[in-house]
Amino acid sequence: MRIFWILLKKELHSFFVSPVAYVVLALVMVLNGFAFRAALAVLENAPSEGSIVSWTFHAMWFWLSYFFIFPLLTMRLFAEEKKMGTLETLFTAPVRAWQVVGSKYLAAVIVYCVLWLPSLINFKFAHWITAGQVELPAGAMGGAYLILVVMGMFNLAVGCFASSLTANQIVAAIISFTLSLLHFLMGIFIMVVGRKISDTIVDIVNYFAATEHIRIFTAGLIDSRPIIYYLTMSLLFLSFTHHVVEFRRWRP
Amino acid sequence: MIDVQELTKQYAGRTAVNNISFRVEPGEIVGFLGPNGAGKSTTMRILSGYMPATSGRVNVAGFDVFQQSIQVRQSVGYMPEMAPLYTDMKVKEYLRFRAELKGLSGMAMRRRIGEVMELTGVTDMRKRLIGNLSKGYRQRVALADALVHKPKLLILDEPTNGLDPVQIRHVRDLLRSLKSKHTVLLSTHILHEVEQTCDRVVMIHQGRIRANDTPANLTRQLRSTTLLHLELEGTGNLAEKLSAIAAVRKATEEELLVHPWRRFTLRVEPDHDVRDEVMELAMKEKWRIREMHRQLPTLEDVFVELSMNAGTPTDIPTHVL
Repeated sequence: MRIFWILLKKELHSFFVSPVAYVVLALVMVLNGFAFRAALAVLENAPSEGSIVSWTFHAMWFWLSYFFIFPLLTMRLFAEEKKMGTLETLFTAPVRAWQVVGSKYLAAVIVYCVLWLPSLINFKFAHWITAGQVELPAGAMGGAYLILVVMGMFNLAVGCFASSLTANQIVAAIISFTLSLLHFLMGIFIMVVGRKISDTIVDIVNYFAATEHIRIFTAGLIDSRPIIYYLTMSLLFLSFTHHVVEFRRWRP
Repeated sequence: MIDVQELTKQYAGRTAVNNISFRVEPGEIVGFLGPNGAGKSTTMRILSGYMPATSGRVNVAGFDVFQQSIQVRQSVGYMPEMAPLYTDMKVKEYLRFRAELKGLSGMAMRRRIGEVMELTGVTDMRKRLIGNLSKGYRQRVALADALVHKPKLLILDEPTNGLDPVQIRHVRDLLRSLKSKHTVLLSTHILHEVEQTCDRVVMIHQGRIRANDTPANLTRQLRSTTLLHLELEGTGNLAEKLSAIAAVRKATEEELLVHPWRRFTLRVEPDHDVRDEVMELAMKEKWRIREMHRQLPTLEDVFVELSMNAGTPTDIPTHVL
């Protein structure tokens, strides 16, 4: 466990020493600003059932930022070390593969969580400046950030896996972007053709669909099924990553 | 310290290391010598626990590298080829990270980091970013990293690669000073270095061990003949008379020097010194000698010979193998 913390500290260090974390943070803040602005515009024009939270996370801007985050945060995790040859130095120290995979992943999750802090300030600020007219329902807030974190954990695990496959960061980014996008497009697919296919298929696909999860959670409904789904999928992709890393070392 | 038995490593379709066996005793400095692509790095990566072997057994510091990888890695200080480092860290920061990973902590760790920085000469660079260091300094940082946990065994893959002559001498002195505390296995393709530093040489070529002996023995047992250069004054067919000496295989006259001086090159059987006989002959014949110089074969000659004869191991004399 000691080794794990040392590695985690180092990973966080390289996130915040390199410009990666700041560039992504800036990007997310700008796009979130637009998303927030779009949500305010909706509320301004007509009375609405949804809260500011739910409108923000339904904005196109939000999804735009969402897909950029994961490749950017995860592409360098393994690919860079492979390219530089430092994976060799790392794995000839007494470290175990799960410690390396776990620490890299957790560092990415921590940075990811930090990315959403500014959006929290947006909401609080709107609430404060309008003297409470912009409501922030506790359920919607809790639900939105909970689903954001678990969805992020899933996508970061996918990104981690993509990075372990190659020594080229661009390739890693494209793999992770494609996998995340495919996952997202399932929900869009249902939105587009939902009326023409049987309800069973709609239900099944909605079970996986990120858009559907966001809809439910930002409405303040906390459903344990998507949480379990994302967490187990994260574990699955992390174990894939572990296998790839170990396999490269212990190939017969 | 190291016991390798019938080690084979195959990459997709290509055999990098082919059934090699050797031992390294505690306290030895052993040089791993071979041309590029001979299988040196592959063997070292297997020894350090980075890579698995296809078959064979490897025991390092009493642990099996396949079964007890963590213990092996704790007792080995490994410096990979090209010294890969995290370029976004500062020197001291990096050494601290590595020392922590290898189980050091607190005051003892701080003292040890100071020691290895002093030893490798990077103390002045401790606050510099590794990415901004020259190749020579990076190499030294990597060496400091390999040393930091006082490993029983140091495995250094081309430790002097890319260094200037002064730095090479520095590293060589450093390695010799480490001898009392560590066993060292280093790889290189610079022969001079091996002759100067190592107790024993393991020569590897195309994945097979070609020779395993002390540098002195290897050069002595070399099949190549010793050369003797002569410059003397005399008349008649001197070459014929010189050839008559028992151990001289052939005497040839070189280009004409300023009259009356003549120059000869004698090819002498290995392990023979004919200087006395030449002297006696000269006295008897009343020649005047103004230069006599014996040229011993160097390890380089062994190396070149072994590399040239790569495809046909039978060509290599049995006493070298």
